[in-house]
Amino acid sequence: MELRTFRGGIHPPYRKETTAGKATVEISLPDEVVIPLQQHVGAPNNPVVAVGDKVEAGQKVGESDAFISAPVHTSVSGTVKAIEDRKNFTGASVKSVVISVDPNQPTKWTEKKNVDDATPEQIRDAAKEAGLVGLGGAAFPTFVKLSPPKDKPIDTVLINGCECEPYLTCDHRLMLERPDDLIAGLKLMMKAVGANKGVIGVEENKMDAADLLISKVCSEPSLDVVVLEVKYPEGAEKMLIDAVTGRRVPPGKLPSEVGVLVQNVQTAVALYDAVATGKPIVERVITVTGPGTKQPGNVLVKLGTPISHVIEQCGGLSGDVAKVVIGGPMTGWAQKDLSATVVKGTSGILALTSEVVDTNAEQKCVGCGKCIEACPMFLTPNYIVKYARRGQWDLADKFGARDCFECGCCSYVCPASIPHVGYVRKAKAEITAAEKK
Amino acid sequence: MAANEFVTSAPPHVKTKDLTGSAMRDVAIALIPVIAVAIGFFRLYALVNLTACVLAAIASEWVMRKIMGREPTIGDWSAIVTGLFVGLLLPPALPFYYGMLGTVIAVALVKELMGGLGYNIFNPALFGFVSLLLISQLWSMWNTSINLGTINGVTGATPLTFIKGGALNGLRPGYWNLFLGNPGGSFSEASVLAVLVGAAYLMYKGHITWHIPASIIGTVFVLTAILGENPLYMILAGGVMFGSFFMATDWVTSPDTKIAQILYGVLIGVLIVVIRLYAAPTGAVAYSILIGNAFTPLLNKLFVRKRFGAVKSAAA
Repeated sequence: MELRTFRGGIHPPYRKETTAGKATVEISLPDEVVIPLQQHVGAPNNPVVAVGDKVEAGQKVGESDAFISAPVHTSVSGTVKAIEDRKNFTGASVKSVVISVDPNQPTKWTEKKNVDDATPEQIRDAAKEAGLVGLGGAAFPTFVKLSPPKDKPIDTVLINGCECEPYLTCDHRLMLERPDDLIAGLKLMMKAVGANKGVIGVEENKMDAADLLISKVCSEPSLDVVVLEVKYPEGAEKMLIDAVTGRRVPPGKLPSEVGVLVQNVQTAVALYDAVATGKPIVERVITVTGPGTKQPGNVLVKLGTPISHVIEQCGGLSGDVAKVVIGGPMTGWAQKDLSATVVKGTSGILALTSEVVDTNAEQKCVGCGKCIEACPMFLTPNYIVKYARRGQWDLADKFGARDCFECGCCSYVCPASIPHVGYVRKAKAEITAAEKK
Repeated sequence: MAANEFVTSAPPHVKTKDLTGSAMRDVAIALIPVIAVAIGFFRLYALVNLTACVLAAIASEWVMRKIMGREPTIGDWSAIVTGLFVGLLLPPALPFYYGMLGTVIAVALVKELMGGLGYNIFNPALFGFVSLLLISQLWSMWNTSINLGTINGVTGATPLTFIKGGALNGLRPGYWNLFLGNPGGSFSEASVLAVLVGAAYLMYKGHITWHIPASIIGTVFVLTAILGENPLYMILAGGVMFGSFFMATDWVTSPDTKIAQILYGVLIGVLIVVIRLYAAPTGAVAYSILIGNAFTPLLNKLFVRKRFGAVKSAAA
């Protein structure tokens, strides 16, 4: 049977087998956590604690009055040591709350209340209070997505269980380990937006998870599990909607335009936690892997934990590690050092050796057209690069620079090792700057 | 934590291992059947000519890059492939130094003077070949010893002579003969089957797609039939097959989007038929593809892809 998918895309080596079979384990606490006050797309938070304050795990440490924002909470009990600028995983300086961790941590959020009676307002409020954002990496505030405009009714909530990035397996583990909570979270989302259909999209390389979920939803007519072809970027919002529903979100529009809401597996589980126990987003599952990791695995980590601590707990680095990436290898951020901390949108830590890291110098485009074939947004990446190189930003825009969501397929297939994504980012910044003038 | 610094660069952090060099190497591999047939038919003529062209290509690339202060790029196989192409486009009887001259024109002038691989507008090998064609036609007015289209032991017409049918119909080679192997014309025209085997390999490797070759061959076939000539003979004889699969599909000089590629193919197909029937059959394919090359930038500009989810063309 031909599996559903989208047009374009690539088949990189997935390298998931190292960690796919490893159950999630909780790692020990670090001595201090660093909680950046902005971990989401939107307005930054202001600190609501002061240096010297005793804080309890789950206590809010930063919030904002802006609509598109998400509060942050301390993941541990301890004492506020400092509130200062720290470099986050993108290398940007972000005001952060530094907390020294108490040896005694409370046991919280164990009592689960029935979520069946929750009203749409209560669900949205719980998502907002919990500081929930898209945990797949985009980090867009969840409650905003759960509040679609009145004129754009949502009929389908789509759970992204594709995990199409190579190496990562944390979503896969969560589908296997917490399927009931995932389905409960999906139902809460459907209720919040008034959708009558809930679909979980899973790539075919995770059939154990797909089968498990199918066995759990087969008796529910409003729920469905769709098995999709293994192809990157199957889990990109627009590609996933196209693959599952056949609807295409127009350029520059949001999924609500076609009546769909997409959320990541981990976000759905976290929403269930928030509604059932009042637990804010203070921890998440991440995959620590790559050829330079001694003990690869899937770990449950408190937010704010330095990645150096996470890597240490996974046996440390080995061999000639050339690159440490936060996120997946296609879209993640290369780290200069190991000082950044795990935040809401962190899905993985990869230690890549020089053997797998591409160090080829950029060559001249030879017009092979492979980037065009690979582009899931049907752009011509070679032309965006051509005009970006010349500083012709209007032409880069004409060829769709702003439609690009930086999946990296073009750069992956390029025989001339052209870093298209870097050029696109530059073009986007210039186009936006020109518009503001 | 130790202050060891890691490599930082924009994503993606993993990339294909298929670089330009390996694709060019695949082209050389795809030429093996054609080369084998050439050597099978023409023995030493083929070996000497092809070797001379490849050596000339490597040498002229190295010298030109040295002069222009660029890094050598022998490793990208591009010079070797260009040398092979020029050699294969030529008839066996042509003395090897002409092949070398054509190769020098192709590599030194058309490729390196334009800035190197990726900067050239015209297909270097075809340009080199056409230059020789012009030079030799002029030259032959004074010196009749150079006779393009004459091969060892077979004095007389190449299969292309018969494309217009008529009185000579009985003498022309049969279809199977042309398909499997017929030592007329240039090295690369000896066997359609050999060309198709190589082309299948390039398609399997994902380096070329059907769009350009199919639209050229389809156009030649249909237009020839409309004009009342023999369409099957037209596509099997001469350089249509080799040109469509190996020359017109050149990454650098062909359009990038599928619609533009099909139009490019149709344009080349029309030119081939018109030039062959109403001008000179020899070199018709080469001239047509070079003219097509000239249209590539325009075609690329005209056909902006319809974006994902767009209702109307975003370029409008």
